[in-house]
Amino acid sequence: MRLHKVFTIAKRDYIATVRTKAFLFGLVVAPLIFGGGSIAMSLMKTKPDVRDRHVAIVDHSGAIAEPLVAAATTKNERELYDKRTHQQIVPRYVFEVVPPVADSKEQLLALSNRVRHKELVAFLEVGKFALRPTKPSDDNGPALGVAPKTDPDTRVSYYTNASGIDEMRGWLSGPINDGVRLARLAQLGIDIRQNKELLTAAPIEGLSLLERDPKTGAVQEARKRSELEGFFVPFAVAMILAMIVMVGSAPMLQNVTQDKSQRIVETLLGSASPLELMSGKVMGSVGVSITSSFLYVAGGVLAVNTLGIAGMLPLTLIPWFYVYLLADVVMLCAFAAALGACCSTPQDAQNLAVLLLMPCMLPMFMLVNVLRQPNGLFATAMSLVPPFTPILMLLRQATTAGVPIWQPWVGLVGVSIFAFATVWGASRIFRVAILMQGKPPQLAQLVRWAW
Amino acid sequence: MDAVQISHVTRTFGEVTAVDDLSLTVPEGSIYGFIGPNGSGKTTTMRMIVNIFYPDSGEIRLFGDGRPENSSDLIGYLPEERGLYQKMTVQALLEFYGELRSGRSVKTEVAAWLQRLDLSARAADKLETLSKGMSQKVQFIATVIPEPKLLVLDEPFSGLDPVSAEAIRAAILELRRRGVTVILSTHDMSLAETMCDYIFMIFRGKKVLDGTLESIQERYGDDTIRVTAPGGIGNIEHLPGVEQVRDLGQVHELRLARGVDPQDVLRALLAQARVTSFSLAKPSLHDIFLRIARPAAQEVKNAAA
Repeated sequence: MRLHKVFTIAKRDYIATVRTKAFLFGLVVAPLIFGGGSIAMSLMKTKPDVRDRHVAIVDHSGAIAEPLVAAATTKNERELYDKRTHQQIVPRYVFEVVPPVADSKEQLLALSNRVRHKELVAFLEVGKFALRPTKPSDDNGPALGVAPKTDPDTRVSYYTNASGIDEMRGWLSGPINDGVRLARLAQLGIDIRQNKELLTAAPIEGLSLLERDPKTGAVQEARKRSELEGFFVPFAVAMILAMIVMVGSAPMLQNVTQDKSQRIVETLLGSASPLELMSGKVMGSVGVSITSSFLYVAGGVLAVNTLGIAGMLPLTLIPWFYVYLLADVVMLCAFAAALGACCSTPQDAQNLAVLLLMPCMLPMFMLVNVLRQPNGLFATAMSLVPPFTPILMLLRQATTAGVPIWQPWVGLVGVSIFAFATVWGASRIFRVAILMQGKPPQLAQLVRWAW
Repeated sequence: MDAVQISHVTRTFGEVTAVDDLSLTVPEGSIYGFIGPNGSGKTTTMRMIVNIFYPDSGEIRLFGDGRPENSSDLIGYLPEERGLYQKMTVQALLEFYGELRSGRSVKTEVAAWLQRLDLSARAADKLETLSKGMSQKVQFIATVIPEPKLLVLDEPFSGLDPVSAEAIRAAILELRRRGVTVILSTHDMSLAETMCDYIFMIFRGKKVLDGTLESIQERYGDDTIRVTAPGGIGNIEHLPGVEQVRDLGQVHELRLARGVDPQDVLRALLAQARVTSFSLAKPSLHDIFLRIARPAAQEVKNAAA
């Protein structure tokens, strides 16, 4: 292979791509997505929505509404205003106790309509037996087993058309359960109002493992760890990698198809071999990916700095990020070049684009499972499957649990071998298919050419 | 030394044999014309010479011992179906192709060729703004920068207006004078006759003609009569000894059967028309082409009927 030909083709493709409006648009949009998103979040923090939150409560138990209203009043008194600026920083919770009526469904419908008309943000229905852990066989009979979770008589139902993780719902759990416990204790004749600390929950704080300072030998303090560190950082790192890989490799399919349909390929093949042509195109795409990666990474760093979580980014990941990026882009671009060579029209290429995105999209569906148990069998096995290794291994490495030291190296060897095999097979398909016109070849034919 | 030596080369595509046991020698510094009907194997042969296709069997050598895969930097190839990066400027595109082949800057050559083909003023323009003729000239320049030892041109004059065609023709002849070997395919028989040192005709993948125009015509003998008769020559198709009559407009071309005396034909003609000129000639390349290809076309027509 003559390298000057590869570099000349790579240079032309690189310049042609980075000068396109689509690429320049991406350059502007990427930092805006990451940087602008975080700035918007910061602005939201300083300008919170402080409109009153009206909530209705239908208490069939007769024991929950009162402590809930009291808890809301206390919360409003304590948290409504910033102590320094005296500005309202959180919304006021306003509870409206609605007496239960005989036709429960009609009542719930009326309240639902009030939520729809934005008079309320939500309403609560406290079941008749919410105070009891189990439901009696009838109203006066003895308790029978554990009540089903879906039984409206034993649960507290929260009706809203807001998102399922709204702040109000998160807050309600505490005072409702405090109220339930107080009522239960009161039924047993225990009055703890004089000693409320009995119900105070002990806070649980996530901390990192302790380490010894290699310079001083002193044992270092454990760092505070948040959900952000456990979820957001690995998720964001994997997403950024996937995005750069897709942005870098997806245009290859169209480019090759375009070169073929516009009859440019044959002129090029008069001066360079198919392998040189494909390698040059792949190298050009790698250059585009690395260029855009600088901006994405810069956007990411800006975002974490703005959010004040810069310390959570493990910097040792950056070399791995680029190694995986390189391997993934080479793999997918070679694959894209082979697919593009098989297409005669841009429409053919569009139909095949989904195949190309698979190695990036499938790991996305596994992210949550892998994050739940980053060192579980599923996560380990999937991250060692070469097409998925770049995204999933990096995701696992970015978790606080980390991975055994040998796994990224084994993954890298697998990816390297797979990338080499992809380039080799793709170059064989490329060589045969690039001058073919008409109907795209069948899968079996592709396999035969690659072999 | 021979520029190209093709020995018993066969290339098939599925069930179709595009080139069948072809052997051909192209002397260095010559212009070799490839002719043949569409789909006869010209382009496949050219693509094998420039290493885009690989022979199933047989061997191709360039300039002695060189294999095509090692000699692509010596070859300038102009494909029949041309395409250029439309978004690039003329200058950038030509530098790209020149650097691709030579690995060095070709700015000087680009400037010289642009001037020669009257394109200097359009150097900074994008390809998409050029006319078809100009684009073809740009493509031709991309083929000859840097100057190759072997130029393979697949129908270089197709779609060109006479002015552009003449410019390209002059450039090709100039390159030949500088020692460049030229292989070109064409459907223009008169161009092949006047421009090529050697003519090779491929038909259904097989070589059917190969040699100088004179040697080819020699094989067919003096069996052609050209007649000018201002008032028309009447019904002479049924004259004994006349196998075929071609009306060329001002001139009629008659092909005689073997052993027929042209004087007998002249006498028969004079009996029914006023003849102002009568000459014996060797068959034209066009005629020879038709003699070979027309029976096949007739076969296809008959089969369709």
